[in-house]
Amino acid sequence: MKIVAIIPAFNEEKRIGATLLALKSYVQEMVVIDDGSLDGTVQVALDSGAHVLKHLVNRGQGASLQTGTEYALRVLEADAIVHFDADGQMDPSEIPTLLAPIASGEVDIVIGSRFLGEAVNIPPMRKFFLKLATWFTAVISGIPVTDTHNGFRVLSRKAAKEIRISLDRMAHASEIIDLIVAKNLRYREMPVTIHYSAESRAKGQSTLSAVMTLKDFFKGRFFDDV
Amino acid sequence: MIFQALLITFAFFALAKTYRQYQHRKVSLYWSVLWAVIWVVLIVVACIPQTTDLLANYVGVEKGADLFVYSSIVILFYALYRTLTRQEKIQKELTDLVREIAILEAKKK
Repeated sequence: MKIVAIIPAFNEEKRIGATLLALKSYVQEMVVIDDGSLDGTVQVALDSGAHVLKHLVNRGQGASLQTGTEYALRVLEADAIVHFDADGQMDPSEIPTLLAPIASGEVDIVIGSRFLGEAVNIPPMRKFFLKLATWFTAVISGIPVTDTHNGFRVLSRKAAKEIRISLDRMAHASEIIDLIVAKNLRYREMPVTIHYSAESRAKGQSTLSAVMTLKDFFKGRFFDDV
Repeated sequence: MIFQALLITFAFFALAKTYRQYQHRKVSLYWSVLWAVIWVVLIVVACIPQTTDLLANYVGVEKGADLFVYSSIVILFYALYRTLTRQEKIQKELTDLVREIAILEAKKK
């Protein structure tokens, strides 16, 4: 089974090296999508043995995941795809557990949940907004996930083909949940551990970006047919 | 009177500009004609303001000036909607283009 990790990255030269080093032994290939970084992300990722795809203009995390998915399916012929963050918040040793139900054919997509697992050092405001977003998505999409905006996911080839992300920015997370429902995919939520460091907290989503995500979410509903 | 004169001068200037742009093939015949009609209407309205009152009475609005403002708002909103949907489409096309280039020029050491 060919497992390909997709890692969107924007100005991550300081952290992506360690992330890729830890990730390497759990997947066959690593694909880094450099989303128009101004630092040395590309070089660090290349030195760490990843395939590097460069967005000439910043297009957002949703767009980066879709670019990586198309490359993994078309060029690398992946059997399973792992969505993974560049900033070292996720624990790659959890990949085999998340992959198991996909490998056995029980489900099409596994979604990680820090609220079923552990969110180490999560700032209270972040927790509040994540819970709010999750509740909101559950009401709209009708499936009771506990952590919509968790970027740790494993997709079968079938699910990766079906889930075509059209929302370029952060609202892609709820779009994925919508598509699971629309395409009738079998899913399972599994516990994961997310480690918040001072650095990742500084770079993560602000309250303002939560509002912008909500705007994109509505835009997605009015302008696109999901 | 001054306002009327300014409006007429501006409309003539815009008409000439529209014609020049068409001559240099910067805009299509369709858009040139549409803009020309708008400027001519503006000149007529500026010269004989009563014409708008006639039209206003016909559609049930009291004054010509009011009709002008109401229809302008509707047209501007529609233009904004058109521009936003267009921009959305261009954003999507830009993402597709950036994506294709990224995939074609993928690197690995």
